[in-house]
Amino acid sequence: MQMSPGLVGMFVLVAVLIWVVASFNKLVVQRTRVQNAWAEIDVQLKRRHDLIPNLVEAVRGYMEHERVTLESVTQARAQALAAGKNVRQRSDAEAALTAALGKFFAVAENYPQLRAVESVQLLQEQLTSTENRIAYARQFYNDEVMDYNAARSTFPRNLFAGLLGFSPSAMFTAADADRANVQVKA
Amino acid sequence: MSTFAPSSTAEQQTLAQDRQSFFDAQRRNRRASWRLSALCVLAAAVMGIPLALLITPLLYALALIIADIVNLFSPLPLAFWQQAEEVARFGFVALAWLLQHKAADPRALALGAAVLLLPGTVLSLAVWFGMRALFRRAGVGGALLALNAREPNQNELKELRLADVVQEMAIAAGLPAPRVMLVDAPGANVAAIGSSPADACLVVSRPMIDELSRDELEGALAHSIASIGNGDLHIAFQVIAVFETCGVLLALVNSPFGPQSRGSLWRIVRYGFIGSRTGQDNTKEADAVAAILSRSVALDTDDIDRFFDPTAKKSMLRSIRNFLFFPIFLTNFAIKLSLWFFFLVILGPSVALLWRTRQYLADACAVQLTRNPNGLAGALQKLTDDGGAIPGSGWASHLFLINPASAGRAASNAPIPQQKEMLLKAWAASAQHSTAAGRLSGPTDFESNLREAAATYRAAFAGDAQAVARIGAMRQAMSALDPALAASIPDPADLAAARKGDIAAIARLQAFRRHIASQPPGASQQQTRNDADPSSGISSISFFGFHPSLKRRLKRLRRMGARLNVAAADSKMWIVATVLSLILAPFVLLIAGLMLLLIAVLTMSSLTFLTVWLAFIHKIFAFVAHH
Repeated sequence: MQMSPGLVGMFVLVAVLIWVVASFNKLVVQRTRVQNAWAEIDVQLKRRHDLIPNLVEAVRGYMEHERVTLESVTQARAQALAAGKNVRQRSDAEAALTAALGKFFAVAENYPQLRAVESVQLLQEQLTSTENRIAYARQFYNDEVMDYNAARSTFPRNLFAGLLGFSPSAMFTAADADRANVQVKA
Repeated sequence: MSTFAPSSTAEQQTLAQDRQSFFDAQRRNRRASWRLSALCVLAAAVMGIPLALLITPLLYALALIIADIVNLFSPLPLAFWQQAEEVARFGFVALAWLLQHKAADPRALALGAAVLLLPGTVLSLAVWFGMRALFRRAGVGGALLALNAREPNQNELKELRLADVVQEMAIAAGLPAPRVMLVDAPGANVAAIGSSPADACLVVSRPMIDELSRDELEGALAHSIASIGNGDLHIAFQVIAVFETCGVLLALVNSPFGPQSRGSLWRIVRYGFIGSRTGQDNTKEADAVAAILSRSVALDTDDIDRFFDPTAKKSMLRSIRNFLFFPIFLTNFAIKLSLWFFFLVILGPSVALLWRTRQYLADACAVQLTRNPNGLAGALQKLTDDGGAIPGSGWASHLFLINPASAGRAASNAPIPQQKEMLLKAWAASAQHSTAAGRLSGPTDFESNLREAAATYRAAFAGDAQAVARIGAMRQAMSALDPALAASIPDPADLAAARKGDIAAIARLQAFRRHIASQPPGASQQQTRNDADPSSGISSISFFGFHPSLKRRLKRLRRMGARLNVAAADSKMWIVATVLSLILAPFVLLIAGLMLLLIAVLTMSSLTFLTVWLAFIHKIFAFVAHH
């Protein structure tokens, strides 16, 4: 059977079109996953904000002499809450809160009777877990961004990904304050 | 908490050349599991041919007998019988070609093959789709929830930490957090059960959170959650559906002979109708049915052996009955033998290899989630040292992180005869507390009493006050006879309380477990033994296990950067193993060939017998109809 060149051209065109639609959809799915991963970080940050007042309340009686440390944690939390939508300000405020919490846990190590209290232990575990969750949420976000960026910038998708509005996402990088390894003991 | 591990410090080992990132490891294992799934599908198809060849004649026999009976009351048109003869002829053409190498028209041959294979294939596929549809919602491993599973208590530090780690790992994997259930079992282990990531559940044994550090717990749970995310539950479900299909086919063939297979068929039907009621009981029942069906695949005595019991009293009626059912007996035996053989030699090993690859894949994914290969490696080492024994996990053993049956502890816990006697006495003494008077006259052998005790124990877990009283009475009677033995039976009241989250009861159980662990072997008794034989799981039908060896897993983890001291493989052992396998290989091949020949002979003779038998019965009907 002899196929006319026009027919062959049409088949090729249809195949290319199908491929473009498929990769467009794939990119959309991946971009949504990246946005979802970003939102998950916010969820965990919110959880940390909610836990801190409980912790401060629970330890206040035992740490009369460490008023300054407690104050700094409360203040950092308030600033993080007030930072609003600005990403730059917010990440700075959250980094400051992480640092303040780290300092608080380091100081709490000096209070054996504090570590023996069960409710404080439970709270501390929850905070440790929240710190971990934030880190894992960021890690997951970065993994998703890596997949998405790789998908949108490899040939031949890079030819049209920009045209269709798939801009590259930014990885989450630790602020300088975060790089100084914060020790959180379980 | 672990962030990106600095890799420079991990490199004292001389493994630099074959170091591998976890992304590479994942890719490699994904490719391998694709290849192996193709192999599994092929194996199932190969297994299906003898099965179809054996089941088809039975279907024809059934159809012919029904037609004969109908013919007796309202004579069927002649055209019907002519058609039937035409169909039969095609089958004979194909058989003649196969056995006597008689030349045949390809079209007739194809039709003949269709006549011989199609009905059996269609029936098998229909049963398979039915089983999948029926059990899809229940998923796999529901029976594990019957092991006195409870939710972790958020007010206890370790259990809170468990719940937290699960949440963390689910966030790292971007999955909905699975439900967590704690089981008070002697060994440390974890299993993922369910049907999909949305309704998955992790079954964690309590020693797991007592013995592992936070990093190790993260590694172990990351493995299970990665396994859920990779869709392993789906794969396990497909494998079990094949088992269930074979079990149902066997039960159908057996159903004229005895109550056991009729019972399991009835259970499936009941499950199908009542199954719409959601809840835990539903998944438990599904798993129980799956266990029953798969047990019938293994070669063991069942209805049909009892039916043709050669030791039974001889009588005229019995001989006639045996003669009537003999062809079906032969077919049944051929089906069982071929199923057993193909499961053991082809399908079982393929599935086991596939499952091992999935475990390696989950290991690599776990390293991606935690970025800490040391955690998982440490957990694997500790769990293997511990044994990870979970009594009653036999059927679902492949779902666990390490093989729960590999422990030597279960074997060493078998009671010595003297203890058996004492246990029996105590159990009988406690019987007066039970209101059921019939129990006193129950059987006196140890096994059936143990089953009874186990059932009572489970009832006590569930909170049945009467059962709790009975176990309490037994412990009292025991302590009069042998205080050490009595101390080895956990207090059911504590178990029930722990289930509700009583911290004091949990602590008592922990102390109890430590006490048992410190006992010399043979001094304690495994009271909570499941009535399902531990060797009846799907891992029993394969040459080799479903769990990769610790050494291989650790080797791969080390390649991904874990710092471990794994003893280098003994090269001499390797040579011995190679030579041994080279010597044994011809024998194994010979045995396999003989088995195949036996199956072929059995298939053919069952066909012949069935044909003769059918002709005989058909003649009788024709004779009766004539008069």
